[in-house]
Amino acid sequence: MHDAGPCRMARRKVTSDQHRLVEYADSEPSAFASMLGGLIEANVSSRPEKEHDFDSLVASVGMWVTDIDEGVTLDFMGGRLVVHNGLMAGRTITIRTDADTVMSLSNLKIGPLGLPVYYDAIGRGVAAKLLRGRLKIEGLLPNILTLNAVTRIFSVQ
Amino acid sequence: MAVKAFSSEWASAFKDEVNKSSNYKSAAKGWKWTVGLVVEAEPDKHFPESKGIVMDLFDGEARDVTVGPAGDAQKCDFVITAPYSRWKEVATKQLDATKGMLQGKLKLKGDLPTIVRYTKASQEMTECTTRVPVEWPDEK
Repeated sequence: MHDAGPCRMARRKVTSDQHRLVEYADSEPSAFASMLGGLIEANVSSRPEKEHDFDSLVASVGMWVTDIDEGVTLDFMGGRLVVHNGLMAGRTITIRTDADTVMSLSNLKIGPLGLPVYYDAIGRGVAAKLLRGRLKIEGLLPNILTLNAVTRIFSVQ
Repeated sequence: MAVKAFSSEWASAFKDEVNKSSNYKSAAKGWKWTVGLVVEAEPDKHFPESKGIVMDLFDGEARDVTVGPAGDAQKCDFVITAPYSRWKEVATKQLDATKGMLQGKLKLKGDLPTIVRYTKASQEMTECTTRVPVEWPDEK
């Protein structure tokens, strides 16, 4: 299992009855689930600008990695995230792409107005994959603001 | 000339490959943490004892790469652990390291946002591994 590293809760006030930011629905989370959950938890804990998005986002986001045949569902519940192994029903958005592109998505820079930057090398690569069908986002058009919020939470840049 | 897998000679050749790579140099700009690779023993593959590779990497340069006990590697800022045969798969391009980490075949310990930020550097470092000719103990 991946270890998201030290200081997970470094910035947030912690009280005894406070929920953890990220929980896992399965008793044995997959490596991919642990990695995404750990990444988001570390991001939100250490980056104040991500807290607003995390606290206000209510959406179920599926992510399927096509070249490892594994996926997760991220249930954002306004300040809490539950990570499920596999794709669950009732998803708002589903992202299907390869492992490399998952890494690129998490490296998208966030530009003015909180919008992901698609004009630098990484952004252009992501956009090209979207156009070529190597990155598929189901539910994109009606949920573009949600996708932008997820990208901001997910981005390590 | 091939060197013994995960030996001191291998470490030296690997360090040279990393320092020859302009791709690594630019992708790892700003990197300032140590990385430990734990190669777990697989006696049936003629790799009887776990080894630790400690990489002192700084700002696009490999300052030092040493091979020693697994415990040394476990003290690094980032630790990647896998059995011998998995590392062999990585070094022979049968397993992509990024996929391996997402699948849990390579176990990663350390700050995830940092390692994700340097994905390109770690991919290039994997490429450097594949350029070192290796004598594998289970192929003798």
